[in-house]
Amino acid sequence: MPFKKQKQHQQKHSGPKAEKKKLKKQNGSTEEDERKRNPKAFAVQSAVRMAKTFHRAQDIKTKKHHVPVVDRTPLEPPPIVIVVVGPPKVGKSTLIRCLIKNFTRQKLTDICGPVTIVSGKKRRLTFMECNNDINSMIDLAKVADLVLMLIDASFGFEMETFEFLNICQVHGFPRIMGVLTHLDAFKNNKTLRKTKKNLKHRFWTEVYQGAKLFYLSGMVYGEYQNQEVKNLGRFISVMKFRPLVWQTSHPYILADRIEDLTDPERLRTDPKCDRTVSLYGYLRGTHLKNKGQVHIPGVGDFQMSDVNFLPDPCPLPGTQKKRALNEKERLLYAPMAGVGGVVYDKDAVYIDLPANHVKQLQEVRPTTELVQSLIETHVTLDAKMAASKVSLFSGSAGLDPTDIMQEGLREIHVWDAHTQTQRRKVVFTGLEEEEDDVSGSSSDEDDDGSDQENQEEEDDLSTFLKEVRDKSEKATKGSTPPVKKRKLEEMQGEEEVIAEAPAFADSEDELERGEADSEGEGEAERAGDSGHCSKESEEDSDDEEDGDEDDESMEEEIGADDSDEEEEQGKYHSGLFTFSLCSILWTFKWKEGLQQKASAAFLRHQEAAPNLRKLVYGSVVEAEDSEEEEEELGGLFRVNRPQKSKKVQADALDCSHFNPDISHNWELEEMLNSIRDCFVTGQWEEGQDAATLLKEDEELYGDFEDLETGKVHKGTTGEQDQAEVRDSEYSVKMDDEEVQKNKRLEKKRRLKERFDTEYDDGDATYFDDLKEEMQKQAELNRAEFEDMDDESRVQYEGFRPGMYVRLEISSLPCEFVTNFDPHYPVIIGGLGTSEGNVGYLQMRLKKHRWYERILKTRDPLILSLGWRRFQTIPLYHIEDHNGRHRLLKYTPQHMHCGASIWGPITPQGTGFLAVQSVSGVKANFRIAATGVVLDLDKSVTIVKKLKLIGYPYKIFQNTCFIKGMFNTVLEVAKFEGASIRTVSGVRGQIKKALSTPPGAFRATFEDRLLMSDIVFLRSWYPVSIPQLYNPVTSLLLPVGQKDSWSGMRTVGQLKHDLGVRNKPSIDSLYKPITRAPRHFNPLHIPKELQKALPFKSKPKLLQPKGKVPRDLKRASVIREPHERKVAELLRALSTVHHYKKKVAQRAHHAKHKEFLQQKEKDEEAKMKRMKDARKKLYRIMGQKDQKKQRSSLKGTPQDD
Amino acid sequence: MASHGLTYEGCNFLRQRLVLSALSGKRVKIKNIRSKDDEPGLRGTVLVYQPGLLYGGTVEHDCNPQRSIGYYLEALLMLGPFMKSPLKATLRGVTNDLTDPTVDLLKSTALPVMKKFGIDGEGFDIKVVKRGMAPGGGGEVVFTCPVRKTVRPVQLTDPGKIKRIRGVAYSVRVSPQMGNRIVESARGILNQFLPDIYIYTDHMKGANSGKSPGFGLTLVAETLNGYFLSAEMLSTPQGQGDPILPEDLGRNCAKLLLEEIYRGGCVDSSNQSLALLLMTLGQQDVSKVLLGPLSPYTIEFLRHIRDFFQIMFKIEVQKPLEDERKGGDKVLMTCVGVGYSNISKTLK
Repeated sequence: MPFKKQKQHQQKHSGPKAEKKKLKKQNGSTEEDERKRNPKAFAVQSAVRMAKTFHRAQDIKTKKHHVPVVDRTPLEPPPIVIVVVGPPKVGKSTLIRCLIKNFTRQKLTDICGPVTIVSGKKRRLTFMECNNDINSMIDLAKVADLVLMLIDASFGFEMETFEFLNICQVHGFPRIMGVLTHLDAFKNNKTLRKTKKNLKHRFWTEVYQGAKLFYLSGMVYGEYQNQEVKNLGRFISVMKFRPLVWQTSHPYILADRIEDLTDPERLRTDPKCDRTVSLYGYLRGTHLKNKGQVHIPGVGDFQMSDVNFLPDPCPLPGTQKKRALNEKERLLYAPMAGVGGVVYDKDAVYIDLPANHVKQLQEVRPTTELVQSLIETHVTLDAKMAASKVSLFSGSAGLDPTDIMQEGLREIHVWDAHTQTQRRKVVFTGLEEEEDDVSGSSSDEDDDGSDQENQEEEDDLSTFLKEVRDKSEKATKGSTPPVKKRKLEEMQGEEEVIAEAPAFADSEDELERGEADSEGEGEAERAGDSGHCSKESEEDSDDEEDGDEDDESMEEEIGADDSDEEEEQGKYHSGLFTFSLCSILWTFKWKEGLQQKASAAFLRHQEAAPNLRKLVYGSVVEAEDSEEEEEELGGLFRVNRPQKSKKVQADALDCSHFNPDISHNWELEEMLNSIRDCFVTGQWEEGQDAATLLKEDEELYGDFEDLETGKVHKGTTGEQDQAEVRDSEYSVKMDDEEVQKNKRLEKKRRLKERFDTEYDDGDATYFDDLKEEMQKQAELNRAEFEDMDDESRVQYEGFRPGMYVRLEISSLPCEFVTNFDPHYPVIIGGLGTSEGNVGYLQMRLKKHRWYERILKTRDPLILSLGWRRFQTIPLYHIEDHNGRHRLLKYTPQHMHCGASIWGPITPQGTGFLAVQSVSGVKANFRIAATGVVLDLDKSVTIVKKLKLIGYPYKIFQNTCFIKGMFNTVLEVAKFEGASIRTVSGVRGQIKKALSTPPGAFRATFEDRLLMSDIVFLRSWYPVSIPQLYNPVTSLLLPVGQKDSWSGMRTVGQLKHDLGVRNKPSIDSLYKPITRAPRHFNPLHIPKELQKALPFKSKPKLLQPKGKVPRDLKRASVIREPHERKVAELLRALSTVHHYKKKVAQRAHHAKHKEFLQQKEKDEEAKMKRMKDARKKLYRIMGQKDQKKQRSSLKGTPQDD
Repeated sequence: MASHGLTYEGCNFLRQRLVLSALSGKRVKIKNIRSKDDEPGLRGTVLVYQPGLLYGGTVEHDCNPQRSIGYYLEALLMLGPFMKSPLKATLRGVTNDLTDPTVDLLKSTALPVMKKFGIDGEGFDIKVVKRGMAPGGGGEVVFTCPVRKTVRPVQLTDPGKIKRIRGVAYSVRVSPQMGNRIVESARGILNQFLPDIYIYTDHMKGANSGKSPGFGLTLVAETLNGYFLSAEMLSTPQGQGDPILPEDLGRNCAKLLLEEIYRGGCVDSSNQSLALLLMTLGQQDVSKVLLGPLSPYTIEFLRHIRDFFQIMFKIEVQKPLEDERKGGDKVLMTCVGVGYSNISKTLK
C-alpha cells in the first residue's frame, strides 16, 4: 500500500473558533473563573470520594517522613569515603587521578590504598579504588559513603556492577553515582544516544528513579576532560548523605597506614611469630572505646591493646572567611601511596622530601636529626645498653646495667617498731626487665643513691621514683619551671607509668639536648605526648598541691582496691562518701564546737570533691593495667602486699544498702533547717516564687475585671516600674542598670516562652515533637563535652568520629604483615557488646533470583554479615501451618525460607548476603542469597520427618501385632498412643508393648490389616545445627593470590574433585514392575439380601444347571433293519443331491462373477467417455468466461 | 572465639558482676570465693559464668530466706527489660528484712526510675501477694516487666521540691494497731515540713501474712518533677536482738527519710546503680542524672561498668550554695550510652 500523508492541522485564524480562543488567551481564564461559572462541577459530589482523596494525599505526605534520628555527626566529620568501583579496564584509577588532580593540583601516579584530600572548606574526601574481587567489593560496600560506579558504555553493564549493587542493597545503601566511560568508542551519534538512554534506565531501576548518571565523554592525553572532571568534583563536594544504620552504630576505620611494631629481635628468632601492628586511620561511624573488640574483615577478631588519637594529618583549613582554598590548604594524604608530607608519631617518622607544601614546621629538625643519628649508629642497641650507665642522681656515678641485672629491685617486709608499721624494704635482685633498663638508661645515677633509697619507707617508694625522674628531667628540660614539672613527674611516679615511659622518647630527648635546649618547652610536651605520659596526671597535678601526703596515701589505697581505708582513715575523710567509718565523729558531742565542725566538714568536702573521680575510677593510667598492677608496680618492683584487708572487703556481704551518716542528728533544728527548702513549703528560687509568678501574671495580662464582684483590677506595671526605680535608687550597688537590663531580658524571655507554648504547639504533630526532641538531644550531645580537652573527653565518650587514631593490636598473624597489599582495603570494624561472641542465628533467607542453582542444606556457604565474612553451614527450614519448622533439603525457588547457622552474634535486623565461593572470577552471578537476621538463639527447633516402618505379624480383627519398628520395650513405651498408618491409608494407634519379640507392640486400626500391609509411624526428629564458623581470611593470602581463598568444600565438589561416584542404595533403584495375577474369591451374597433381590438377579438362577434327572431324559430310538436300509439310502441320495447342488451353485457363481466384471468394464468406459466430454465442455465454458472477464476489464462491453 | 572474660575475686558484688556479664556478653570468672572460710557456701571457691541469652517468660523461684526477695529483685529489675519475652517472675520468700531494700521500697522507687527510661507499659508492676517477714518468710511477690529493645537517654537534673509524702505501714501477725502507732509517730516528725502526708496501713491476715511476725514502715517522698526518695525501717526479726517499739520505728524511719532528702538527687540511694546501668545501656547520647552522694555499692558498680562496658561517667560535685537549705552535696553523673540493643528480642 502506498504511504498516505495525513492532513496537517490548520489553525484557524478567523471565524468564531478563532475569536473564542483569542478571547481566552487575552482574559487568561483562571480556575476561579470556572468555579464561578460552573459551581456544580466543583461542588462536593461524594463525601466518600473526598475522604478517599484526602486520605490518599495524607498517605503520600506521611510516606515521605523518615523516623527521626538523633543527629550524631561530629562537628568535624571524618573524610567522606568515596569508593570507585567497576570492572577492570574501565578507568577507575584514571578517574581517581583526575579527581585528585582537580582538587589538589597534584599528580598521583600510583593509587595505592586510601587517598585523603581536602576538597573544600568543610569537606575532605578519601578515595579508595575497589579491585575486581568480591572480597574487596563486600568490604568496601560496608564503609562507603559514596560509590562512583564506573560503567564501560562501549560494553554495557557487567556482572560485577550488578553484584556490587546487590551487595550495597544488603549492607545499607550508600549514595551511588554512575559514571559512564569509554563514550568515545561510539562513532555513530545515534547509537551513542540510544545506549546512554538504555543504560540510564537500567541503572535507575537498580538504584532509584532519577539516580545521577555521569558521562565522561572521552580521553585527552590519557586523562578525562577537565571540565567534566570538574563538574563531577562539584557534584561530589555538595552531595548530602543519609546516615546508614550499621555505619552509625559501629565505629570503624579504613586504615590508611600500617606499621609493624614487633620487636626485631623476636622477628629474627621467630619470623612466624604473631605481630604487634599499629593501624592508622580516621575514625568513622560512632565513638570507639579503648580496649574494645574489633574485627578486621579478611583477618579476624582482635582485642585492641591500645588506642590513641593523633593530630590530624590532613586537617581542614581554618575558619577564615573566603571562598576557595589556597594552595597550602589543598592537602593530600596517602601514606600507602607514599604521599603525606612529614608524619611524626610514636612508631615511625615519615619524611616526604619533594617540595610538598605540607606542614614542615618544627618537626623537621629533630626528626631529621633523629634519623641521622639512627643512620649513624654502628652499634646495636644491646651493645649500647651494655656500655651505658644509668645514674639515678645527677653528679653520682653511673649504674652499670650488669649490676642491675644482678640486683634488680625487690622488696622485703620489715616490721618497724618505731613507726608501728610494716615497711617494705627495697632489695636489688637479678629480676629485671630490659624495658626498664632502657627507660633508666637516659639518666645518670649511682649505686650510692640507690643504696640510700634502700632505707626508704614504704610510702617513699614513689618518692624515690619521683626524685629519680625529677633529676633526670631537670637535666633534660632546663627551661621549664621546676615546680610544675615536679608535680607532673610526681604524678608519674605515683601512678606508676614508668613501664609505659618509652625508651624512644627519652633517647630522643638526649639527642636533642645538645642544641634543642631553646625549644625545650614544646619538646617536653611532645615527648610527653608520644611517650604516653598520661594527660591525667598533668590535669590532676593541681589538685595535688595542697596535700601531697594525703593524696598519695589515697592514691595508694585506691590502687589497692580501696582496701585499707580503715587503717588510713585518720588521714582523710570524704564527707561525701561515708564508709560508715566516722568513728571519730561518733564520739563528738554536738553541743560543743558546732561551728568548728561545720568548718571542718566544709574543708572535708573541699578535699573530697576533686578526688571523687579518682575515688571511683582510680587514676586512669592505673585503670589500664589494673589487672597486672597487683603483680607489678611500675614494671620495676614486685609487690607482695598483705592482702588480708582486701579479702575482707571482697568477701563482704553483697548489699546495696547505703548506711546513713550517723553524724547527722535529726533532732536538731540546724539539721532540720538544712533541708527546709527541699519541700514545697520552703523558699522557692527567685524565678519560681509564687509571689513573683503572680506579679508576672498581672504584668502579662494587665487589667481585668472580676465579673462576680465587679471589681476592676488595674495593671500594676507602671507602679511596679516606679517601685523598681525607687528600689534602684535606694540600693547600694552602682551597676543597677545591668541588673535592670537582665531582669527585663529575663522577663522578655519568659514572655516569649509562654507565647511559644501557647501558639506554636497548637498544630505541632507528634512527628514535629519527636523531631524537636531529637534536635534537643543532639544539641546536648554536642554541648556536653565541648569545652573539654580531647584527652579527658576521650575517656568519657570514647574516641569520637573524625579523629585520626592509631590502634595497636598485639597479636596479628604474621601473614597480615608479610603478605600486605595496599590495594586491598584494611577495615577495622568495632564490635558492639556481645558481638564478639559466637552463637546460633536464625535468619530469613531468599535465594537470589539471578542465581542459577538452588542451595542445598548443609552445603557450606560464605556469608557476609555485619563486618564479617565467614563460611558456615546453614540449615534451611520453613514454617508449617502448625508452627513446626520443617527442614528443607533445598531452598525454595521464589520464596523466603528460614536459615539457621552457627555464627557471630549480630543484632537482629542486620542484612546479609551469601556467596558460594569467593575465589576467582565466574561468568555467572555470584550472589547466591540475601536475607536478614531474625533471632539470635536456638528458640526454633528444626525438625525433619522420620518414618519408622514395621510389619504386622499377627492380625486379629482390628487389632494387630507389629514388629520391626522398635528394638526395645522402652522405645515402644515412649511412643504409646502415637498414631500410625498403613501405606494403604488405614489409621491406627500404638497400644502397648509386647514382651516378645523385643520392640513388638499391639496396635489397633480402624480396619482389619492384611499381612502384606506395611505400617509406618510418622515422627519429627530435631536436627542439630552444625557448628562451623570459618572466617574468610583473604587478607592473609600471598600477594596476587588474595582472591583465591577457598574454605570447606561441598560434598558435591569433593566428589567431583576426588572422582567419587555415588553408589546408590539398591532399594532406591527402579525395577520392572511385575504384577501377579490376582485370584478373586467367589462372591457371597447373604441370604437376606438374596431374598430382597429381584427374581432375575437371584443368584440361584445365575448358577449353572445341574444334571438332568433320568426321568427327564429321552429314551433312545432303535431302528429295524429294513428301516435302517431305507434311511441309509435316503442319506446317500441326499448326499449326492447335495453334491450336485453345490457344483451347480459354484458354476453359477463363476458365471455371475464374469458378468459383473464385464459390467464394470463397460461402466468404466462409459464414465471415461462422459468425463472427457465434460472436460471438453468445461474448457470451452472457462475460455468463454475468461474472454468475458477480459473484455469487461478492458471496459469495453463487446459481447453480453 | 568467645570474647575475653573478666576475672574477679571474692564473693562481694556477685549480683553486679553476673548482671553486667549477662548484659554485656562478657564471660566472668570469680575466684577465691570465701577461700579462707570453712563453708564457702558454694561447692568450690571459683565461679565461671558464660552468659547466654535472657529468655524471660514465666519464672517461679523459692528464694533463700537468708536474703530477702529484694536482693533477687534488684538484679531482676536490671535484667527484666532485656529479655526475649516479657518477664513474669513469682518469687517466694522473705519480702521484708533489714539487710536488703524491701519489696515495698523497690515498688515505690525503682519502678518510677525505670519508667523515666522508657520502660513502661501495662505489665510493669511489682505485686506483693503475700507478705513474709524475716526470718520465716512465706511471702510472695509477682514481678512483671515488659521487654524493650532500646533504652531512652534521660536528663534527670532538676529534682524539684517535695510535694507529698506517702508511705505504707505494714504489720503481719501482730496487733493491727501497730500500724496506726507507727503512722502517728512518723507524721509527728514529717509534719514539720509538709502537710500533705498520707501513710497507709497495711495489715495482712491469714494465709497472706507469712510465717513470722513483724511490722515496718516505708516512706516515699514525691517531688514536683516526679522523682521519688524513700526510706524504710523494720522491726527486728523475731528472736534476734531487742524488740523495737512501733513509735520509735516510726520516728526513726521519718529521720531516715529526712536523711535521704538531705542526700537528695533525682534517684534515691538504693536505686543509684539501677539508674546508672540504664544510662549506660542507653543510646549513644548524653544522659545526665543528679544523685545524692554515691554509696559504696554504687562506686563499685561504676568500676564494674567501666570493666564491662568501657564507660566512664563524668562525675561533677554540686555543692549547695551558702544560704541554700537543700541538703548536702549532690553529684551530677553524665555519660554517653553504649548504644545497647536488646539482642534477645525476636524480630518478626
